[in-house]
Amino acid sequence: MAAAIETKKLTKSYKSRIHGRVNVVENLDLHVEEGEIFGFLGPNGAGKTTTIKMLLSIIYPTSGEGYVLGKEIGDMDVHKIISYVPERPYYYEYMTGLELLRFYGSLFGITDQAKFESLLTKVNLHRDMSKTISQYSKGMQQRIGLAQSLLNDPKLLFLDEPTGGLDPIAHREIRDLILSFRDEGRTVFISSHELSEVELICDRVAIINRGRIEQQGKLTELLRGGRVEITVRGVQPELLHGMKLRDTNVRNLPVGYLLDMPEEEDINAVVDGVRAHRGEIVSIVPRKKRLEDLFVETVTSQPAGSAPLEGPIGV
Amino acid sequence: MRSIISIATTTVGEAIRRKVLLIILLVGILFLVVAPGLGVLSARSETTVLRGMMLGIIQLTSAVIAIVLTVYMIPNEIERRTIYTILSKPVQRWQFLLGKYLGAVLALGLMMLLMTAVLVFTFWLQQDRQVSGIADLIAAPLMYFVQMSLLAAVAIFFSTFVAPLVNFFLTGGMYLLGSLFNPFFQTLQESQGTPPVAKLFAQFVNTILPNFANYNIQNPIINPGQQIQNPQAYYMQATIYGVFYIGTLLVLGILIFDRREV
Repeated sequence: MAAAIETKKLTKSYKSRIHGRVNVVENLDLHVEEGEIFGFLGPNGAGKTTTIKMLLSIIYPTSGEGYVLGKEIGDMDVHKIISYVPERPYYYEYMTGLELLRFYGSLFGITDQAKFESLLTKVNLHRDMSKTISQYSKGMQQRIGLAQSLLNDPKLLFLDEPTGGLDPIAHREIRDLILSFRDEGRTVFISSHELSEVELICDRVAIINRGRIEQQGKLTELLRGGRVEITVRGVQPELLHGMKLRDTNVRNLPVGYLLDMPEEEDINAVVDGVRAHRGEIVSIVPRKKRLEDLFVETVTSQPAGSAPLEGPIGV
Repeated sequence: MRSIISIATTTVGEAIRRKVLLIILLVGILFLVVAPGLGVLSARSETTVLRGMMLGIIQLTSAVIAIVLTVYMIPNEIERRTIYTILSKPVQRWQFLLGKYLGAVLALGLMMLLMTAVLVFTFWLQQDRQVSGIADLIAAPLMYFVQMSLLAAVAIFFSTFVAPLVNFFLTGGMYLLGSLFNPFFQTLQESQGTPPVAKLFAQFVNTILPNFANYNIQNPIINPGQQIQNPQAYYMQATIYGVFYIGTLLVLGILIFDRREV
């Protein structure tokens, strides 16, 4: 499949008085396929917004290459078919929703009033199009931002924290809109901290940390390796040690012990072993690997859910 | 061209809604309105004092508006991130800068037009509804408009690479120096007794520093005895100088802004 975004060793560095030269983004090899929703994740200061700005030629790379829809970054022709909604956007407050679309539309040479109104309907702002931006709530401002991003019928949309600070209903509305973009064949590049949202809608993700991509790939592949939590009581810890379970953590609970083990482990053998010694199985809870677990593991370089009160068994 | 006009129009819309500018404009207009009352306190001819005072008010108010309007223009767009949405569209940086400048000049022009209308009306009333001499009076605000357009260009140029507060003092300083000291450096340059090094320095300063004094044509208007020899030629020359200088500043500003990290 053709690449919507491709970067090769893209680097951005700044001069620092103390450290000399600091790489904010370093040797970035990013690959985003056309027609997918791509999540770009990372802690604060990881280089997410810097990367987006380089791809949009708002700032210039120090070295490396970047291509957007097959064209080198900075090519003005590409700007006719991409769009961007920045984090915490500010729009000219004195303008009404309709005037704002007229202004941004004029930058593309678009003057079709019907188009502006249909976009406002799409983002559910048709009734509020005569209100000024200053009268819009945060959710409405986000929606008008999405409306202006669709003016030029873009093939690729960059959304920086599209659901930041919104209430759950607004979250859902934005999420549904983003999914509709994919259904329309557009590529969506989302930078976000809302891991639950990203997990729900993204096809592929990349995790950037301190300017470097640490993980990149399909969500289904990156989130392999779930775990199972078995809560037992009425057994001695020596029994649990004797089971020789791999990569299993044991935590002391008021009701007994919690065994946190890989889902590949033979759960039936564990259950039979506990019951044979007159122990009791309180609960068995499969815990799929979540994006949050992957994120924490990646940025802290240690497994999520680790540091048990008693040492791990069989490690 | 379309993008430039759109950005300019939006800039005008924003500028005429900025409270601080409207307050400065209002204060200027108030002073214009009360000026006739102050003219009677002077020993000199009331008309002379009134013309001088009112033209001075328009010039000073316009200068303050021009500086306040333009020093924060580009930094505000960057701080509020409105520039990101615009630059992500097929808009070149030079189109953005030019659009902002044209919008600023248009907004400034509208405000100066309003002040000039008050000036003309006040004068017309003061002269018992006679129109004689009013056409001459309008020449000064027209020249001030070119002067303020040049001042705006200086501020926009500096705003591409310095912080707003520094820009405020730099632009204000350039205006004062260019208004007060250019005639001095010109005299120094032309004088026979000036040492060559001083002449060279005077020539350098005269070339680099915009000559805002070119547009201070209130003397012949205030004092009809003092006339410019060929006023049309003078106004044309001053305007061409202004346009050339503005063009140079904008080109330099574009070159700097094109590589600036925003």
